[in-house]
Amino acid sequence: MIHHIVRKEFADMIRDGRFRWSAILVGSLLLVSLAHGWVQARKASQEHAAAQATAREHWETQGEKNPHSAAHYGVYAFKPRLALSFVDEGVDPFTGTSVWLEAHRQNDFLLRPAQDATAAQRIGALTAAQVLQHLVPLLIILLTFGAFASERERGTLRQLLATGVGWKELALGKALGASGALALLLVPAAVAGAAALVVASPGPTASPLARGAVLAGAYLAYFVVFLALSLAVSARARSSRTALVFLLAVWVVNGLVAPRVAVDLSKRVYATPSAFEFARTVEREMADGVEDIAPPDRDESTKRLLAEYGVERVEDLPINAVGVYLQESEEFSNRIFDRNYGALWDAFRRQGILQEALAAAAPSIAVRTLSMGLAGTDVEQHRHFAEAAETYRRDLMRQMNGDMTENSLTGDFSYAASAELWESVPPLEYEAPPLGWVLGNRILSLAVLGAWLAGAVLLASAQVRRAEVA
Amino acid sequence: MTARTVLKNEWRLLMADRPLKIALGLFVVLLGYALTNGVVWLRFQERTVEATTSGNVERASALRQELEAIEAGGQPSSPFADPRSPRVLGGPSGSHTAVLAPGPLTALAIGQSDLLPYYYDVNIYTNEASFHQNGEVENPLNLMVGRFDLAFAVVYLLPLLVLALSFNVLSEEREQGTLALTLSQPVSARSVVTVKLAFRALVVAGIVLGVSLLGALATGGFGSPGRLLLWSVTVVAYALFWFALAAWVNALGRSSAWNATVLVGAWLVLVVVLPAAINAAAGLLHPLPSRVEMVTAQREASNDAVNRRSELLARYLEDHPEMAEGVVADEPGLGALSWAATDAVNGRLEEVAAEHDARRTEQTALVRRYRFLSPALLAQEALLDAAGTGDARFADFQSQVREFAERWREFFVPAIMADEQMNAGVLADVPTFSLADGDSADLTRRATAPLAVLAGLLALIGAAAGVGLGRVRGAD
Repeated sequence: MIHHIVRKEFADMIRDGRFRWSAILVGSLLLVSLAHGWVQARKASQEHAAAQATAREHWETQGEKNPHSAAHYGVYAFKPRLALSFVDEGVDPFTGTSVWLEAHRQNDFLLRPAQDATAAQRIGALTAAQVLQHLVPLLIILLTFGAFASERERGTLRQLLATGVGWKELALGKALGASGALALLLVPAAVAGAAALVVASPGPTASPLARGAVLAGAYLAYFVVFLALSLAVSARARSSRTALVFLLAVWVVNGLVAPRVAVDLSKRVYATPSAFEFARTVEREMADGVEDIAPPDRDESTKRLLAEYGVERVEDLPINAVGVYLQESEEFSNRIFDRNYGALWDAFRRQGILQEALAAAAPSIAVRTLSMGLAGTDVEQHRHFAEAAETYRRDLMRQMNGDMTENSLTGDFSYAASAELWESVPPLEYEAPPLGWVLGNRILSLAVLGAWLAGAVLLASAQVRRAEVA
Repeated sequence: MTARTVLKNEWRLLMADRPLKIALGLFVVLLGYALTNGVVWLRFQERTVEATTSGNVERASALRQELEAIEAGGQPSSPFADPRSPRVLGGPSGSHTAVLAPGPLTALAIGQSDLLPYYYDVNIYTNEASFHQNGEVENPLNLMVGRFDLAFAVVYLLPLLVLALSFNVLSEEREQGTLALTLSQPVSARSVVTVKLAFRALVVAGIVLGVSLLGALATGGFGSPGRLLLWSVTVVAYALFWFALAAWVNALGRSSAWNATVLVGAWLVLVVVLPAAINAAAGLLHPLPSRVEMVTAQREASNDAVNRRSELLARYLEDHPEMAEGVVADEPGLGALSWAATDAVNGRLEEVAAEHDARRTEQTALVRRYRFLSPALLAQEALLDAAGTGDARFADFQSQVREFAERWREFFVPAIMADEQMNAGVLADVPTFSLADGDSADLTRRATAPLAVLAGLLALIGAAAGVGLGRVRGAD
C-alpha cells in the first residue's frame, strides 16, 4: 500500500508546476552557488599558497643582518582556505586573511575581505550553505503544507482512510514522496559536491570526505525536522491556509529573526571590550605588567648571567646578554598576550555557545554551526590557525634570540647572521584539526539538532494520530 | 459611504482580528528590541570616541609639560624619547587619534559601523598600510550573521507585515460575498481599496516612524533633520511599494490563497534571493582585486627601500635605541637618512594602494548598479546613508584622514630633514583632525538615485494596480 502513496505523492509533486519551478530555481541556485564557491575557494587557496611561498622566500633571501633585525622583519602567515569552505564560507570573509609575525608583538589578523565589499553584501551571500539552510526548508514547506490539510478540504482524506490505509502509513508515504521529489535536486548537488572534493579539491583539509559525509548528515537531519514539522502542522491545522501561514512564520523566525536576535543577546550577556580599550589594556600591561606577571628586570638578568658565568663585567660574558634579555621580554609579553587574547577568544566562544543554545528555538542556528564547523570556517578553527601562527612566531623569536645570544657578544651590534640561519627555521606548516576535534567543539549543536529531530518526528506522529478526518 | 466610514470600519475590524493584533504587537516588540540594540551600540561607540578625544588631550598636555620642564632646565624622561625631536613629537608617542563620530542615526541602523574602522592613530609614520586595520573588536560570527537593528526590521520584516495586512484586501470581500454589496454603493473598487490600504499604511508607517523618531529623540538624531527626513521618506516609500504590490495582485481577481502565495513569493525573490544572487553575480563578473597579493607587493616595496639602506647599525638602533649603550643615540643626519627610507617605502605603498583602490572603485561602481534590481537593496542603501553608517561616510572619513596625515607630515618632516629641535611653542600649531561631515547636498545627491527608482517602481506598480482595480466589478 505504502509504495502507492509514495508514488502518487511523488508524481503529484513533480507534475505540479509550482513545485517544478521552485525546485528548478532552488536546484539551480544550489548548483550555481556550489560552482561559485568552488571557483572562489580554489582561487583563494592558490593565492594564499603562492603568497605563503613568497613570504618564505622573502624570509630566506633577506640578506645578512642581525638576528634581531630579522625578527623585526618577521614573516607573514596566510590563512589557508580549507577544501570544504566552498560549501560554506562561514566567518572567513569576516576574519582577516593574513597576520604579520614579528618581534615583541602578537598582531591581529588583517585584511577582512568583507571590509572591501559593499554594505549590500552583508544582507545576503549566495553560498550553498545559505541555499541549504534557508531555501530548501522553504521548498519543503511549500511541498507539504497541504499534505493533510488540502486533502481534508477537498474531502479526499475521508476516502483515502476508507480504503483501510493507516494514518502512520499515510504520513510515511507522504514524507517519502516529498523526500523523493527533493532528492531529485539534492542528490545531484551532493554528488557534484563530492566529485568536486575528490577530483579537484579546492584546497587542503583533514579528512574531507568524512567531513563531507557528516555535513550531509547534518543537513539531512535538518530537512527531516522541517518535513516532520510541516506534516505535523498540516495534520493539525484547520485549513491549508492556516498551515501555510504558520509554517511561513516558523520559517521567518528560524532563518531571519532568531539568528540576529541571538547575536545581540549574546553580545549583551558576554560583552567584549572595544578595540580601543583592548589595545590600551595590552599597552599598559606590556609596560607595567600585572599582579603576577612582572616585566623582566634587565639588571637582575645581567647579574644572574654574571654569576652564572663567574665573570665580573658584561664584556667578559661569552654570550650576548641582550639576546637573553630580549628572550625574557618575549616570554613576558607572551604571557600578557595569552591573558588578553585568551580572554577575548573565550568571550567569543561563550557568545557562540549561547547562540548554539538558542538553537533550541531555531534549528537553523544548530545546522549553521555544524555546517561552518565541518567546512572548517567557524571561529574555533580560525582560532586554531591563529594559535598555530602565534606558536610559530614564538618559536621563530626564540631561535633568533638564541642565535644572537650564542653567536655574538654583549654590545656587539655588528654581528650579522646569514641565509643559513634563515633557512634553518622550518616553514610554517599548518595542519587543520581532525574531524573529532571539530565535533567535540560542536556537541551542543549536535545535541540540539538531535533533539529537534526527535521532537519533530514525535510531534508529527502524535499530530497525525490525532488528526481529524474532516 | 465616505472614506471616514471605511476607516472607522477598518479600525473596528482590526481590533476584532486577534491574530492580526498579535502580529502587530509582536512587530512592535521586535522594533523595540531592535531600537535598544542600536542604542546600546551607539553608546558603546560614543564611549570609544570620548576615550580617543581625551587620549588626544592627555597626550598633548603630557608632552607640553615635559617640553616646558626641559625648557626650564630639566632633562627628558628618556634620552630616546626626547620630545624636542620632531621624530618623537610627531611620532607614535605624540600621535593624534582621528575619529569619526557615530553617524547621527546609528541607533536606527548599525550598518557597516561594526566592521569598518572609525578611528586611526595618525603620526609621521602613517602610510597606506596603516589603513589596513580591523574595525571594532567583534566576534566574526556576529559580523557574519548581522545585527538585529531597525534597518534590518524595515528591510526584511516590514514587507511581511504589509503583506499580512493587505494580501486579501479585496479578495476577502469577494470571498465573503460583501464585494457586490459594497460596490452597489456609489464608490469604486479603486477608492475602497485605496482607503483600506491607506488606513493600513497609516498603521504601519505610524508604528515604524514612531519607533524611529523615538530612537532619534533618545539619541539626539533630531540634530540632523535632513537625515531623519531621508530615513522617513525611505521607510514610507518602501512600505508603499509593498502596499502597491499587494493592491496590484488583489486587482488580478484571484483567491486570497493565491494572492498570499504570489506575494510571499515576490517577497522571497525581491528580498532574499535577488540580493544574494546579485552579490554572487557581482563577485563572479567583477571580482575584487586580492588583498593577499597586495600584502606581497607592499612587502617587496619596503624590501627594496630597506635593502638600499645598508646601515645595519642604524636600523638596529632605530628598532632599539635603549640597547645602544655607549653608542650615540641621535647621530646627526640619522633622522634625515632614516626618513628618506621611510619616504621611499611610503611612495611605493601609495602606488600599490592606488592601483588596488582604482580597481576596487571600479568594481564597487559596477556592483552598485545592480542594486536597482532589488527594492530591498535600494532601501538598505538609502537607510544606511541616512543613518550615516553606510560605506560612503566611512570612505569619506578615510580620505579625510589621509589628508590629515599629509598635513601632519608637512608639519614635522621639514624639521626632521633639517635636524631641528622643537619646543613647547609649536604645540599650539600641531595640526588636529576635525571631521568635515558630508554636507546635506552630498547626502541628497547620493540618495536621489535609489529614491527615484523606488518612487518609479512605486508609480509603475501603483498605476498597474489602479488600472486593474478600475476593471473590478462587484458582480464578478
